[in-house]
Amino acid sequence: MAHDWQPDFEQLVDEHQSMVFSLAWRMTGDRGLAEEIAQDVFLELDRHLGKIESAAHACFWLRRVTMSRSADALRRRVVRGLDLWVEMEEHHGISVVERTSPLGARLEQLLATLPESQRAALVLRYQEDLTPEEIAATLQAPVATVKSNLQRGLKLLRAKAANHLKEYVRGKEYARGI
Amino acid sequence: MGFEPMEEFEQELRQAFERRPAPTSLKRRLMESRRTRQPGNHVLNWQRLAAAILLTATLGGGLVWRNREEQRKGEAAREQVLTALRITNRALNQMNTQLAAHGRAQRQGD
Repeated sequence: MAHDWQPDFEQLVDEHQSMVFSLAWRMTGDRGLAEEIAQDVFLELDRHLGKIESAAHACFWLRRVTMSRSADALRRRVVRGLDLWVEMEEHHGISVVERTSPLGARLEQLLATLPESQRAALVLRYQEDLTPEEIAATLQAPVATVKSNLQRGLKLLRAKAANHLKEYVRGKEYARGI
Repeated sequence: MGFEPMEEFEQELRQAFERRPAPTSLKRRLMESRRTRQPGNHVLNWQRLAAAILLTATLGGGLVWRNREEQRKGEAAREQVLTALRITNRALNQMNTQLAAHGRAQRQGD
């Protein structure tokens, strides 16, 4: 029944390129590298198109391979944390601040400083809106590990945000009249 | 901590982690890469490979033929030299016999 589905490569690219690119960018913190990863992932999808059974399978496959390729790329690279984001904006002329709120932009920057396993869990949870079980299946990790990474990552990110965003919080409290 | 509750923080995360649009060049590059790997191109690659093998075989065959031809000419030249040497040897033997006969005739006349 699943084999009634006919995969259309171009349509899959249209539907999922934003997801693949965003996952790779958030995992690596490098726009150029994310583009390379996205290209590799889609070309691999093209080679495995015959084995893809449904639209949902394609989406799952793309997420899993993107996360795996991003982890491989990270292992080959030195993770440079916050500096990497500053460099990224300088090199590509992209202002994260312009696109989102100051807090949102800062959260993206702080995400790059988290350990890889926590970052992966948080990105899949809050970008892709996946449940811990779905994240575990995507990362091929135990659900308990994923839940732990989510909790720790969230706590760490919140603590980092609280430290780094005192001015923002103060401004927000001021606006609320606290 | 002076920060909003966790639910609010998670909401901020969802907003901050919205998907980013992929660069427009990504799809173009993908489709180009894909086109170069189409089955038609595999046929073209096989044709190129066959042409390269044919060319190599022709050149190799030519070289082998030239080597054999040179070897054959060398053998013929060697045969000619040996024949010339045999003829010269025979002529020298005849001359030697004649000289010996002439010498004997002179000694008998004396």
